[in-house]
Amino acid sequence: MKRNPAALFFVAAVVAAMLFVGFHAARRAGGDASADSLDVAGKPAPDFTLQSLDGKNIQLSSYKGQAVLLNFWATWCGPCKIEMPWFVELQKEYGPQGLQIVGVAMDDASKDEITKFVKEMGVNYTILLGKESVGQEYGGVNVLPTTFFIDRDGKIVAREFGLQSRSLFVDNIKKALSQGHAVQAQK
Amino acid sequence: MQMTNKPLAIALLLVTSCALAQSPGKKAPSVTMAPVEPVTVTRGKGGAVSLHFRVASGFHINSNTPKSEFLIPTALKMDAPTDIVLTKLTYPQGAEMSFPFAPNEPLSVYSGDFTVSMTVRPLHTVQPGKYAIHGDLKYQACDNAACYPPKHLPVDFEVKVLKGATPAGKNPAQSPHAHR
Repeated sequence: MKRNPAALFFVAAVVAAMLFVGFHAARRAGGDASADSLDVAGKPAPDFTLQSLDGKNIQLSSYKGQAVLLNFWATWCGPCKIEMPWFVELQKEYGPQGLQIVGVAMDDASKDEITKFVKEMGVNYTILLGKESVGQEYGGVNVLPTTFFIDRDGKIVAREFGLQSRSLFVDNIKKALSQGHAVQAQK
Repeated sequence: MQMTNKPLAIALLLVTSCALAQSPGKKAPSVTMAPVEPVTVTRGKGGAVSLHFRVASGFHINSNTPKSEFLIPTALKMDAPTDIVLTKLTYPQGAEMSFPFAPNEPLSVYSGDFTVSMTVRPLHTVQPGKYAIHGDLKYQACDNAACYPPKHLPVDFEVKVLKGATPAGKNPAQSPHAHR
């Protein structure tokens, strides 16, 4: 049977195009871990209001004028536990310069269990009780930890998936602190 | 293959490979279960069932007895008909493994293949026939640098209940629990 070379090439091109489109659709839907920060950098961080462990409603935009490290984590996430002592240190070191670290617990665990965990870890920064809807606003958060670095104007500077080096966090914090306008935080 | 088709075949392979190369660097974590042959059991007696699971390469899940109260254990929850009793649910022991994110705290995990076994025991009152047993395996996976939300894997297998010998002096059809 004779095959038409042009037809075969056309089929190959269609298959390739379908795979390409399928991949990008899956990536948008699933919060792909391999996506770098470039596709979110410069975009406004979606605002939300979540309850803190002490029962207060905290709105992300209330931190305008400060740089925010927004960390999605869970009590069952081993790599998240490694970052937490770093965040404690970084909050102490960069807090006076205008950094606020905010941890969002994407957990099925109860508030009491999360509180117990946070106490055991000696956390000194704000912990909020996460909601699926907030995770969706941030691309699905299907990988934990996922960390966003937000500048003083509320724009995303960088996003990191999974456990990263402490030095990368420091670099991103410095970047977030250096961008936007420092104003008195209104709480 | 004819010579004229060779370059086209190579072109097809290259184009397809280029498209696949766009796929994410990290695979999604998954646990799969090997198909289970129908289990044949005589009513009133027990039969062993083994469920073979596979954790995708590069991932691990917590064992049934993780070392921290905060970790989510792998757990099989089955839903069987009332007169078919599932007993002796047995999980393998987890492997003690250390990971880059916790080099000094070995975890109890399953990776690669693992098997969960149980005994199926249809009561004397069960009508002979085929019964579908359903359930789900809850697991929570991680790799070396990240963790993924808990997932549920549907678990299904079929039990074929045979009549067997009726115990002397007993007539199952007269049991108040007999299926009619």
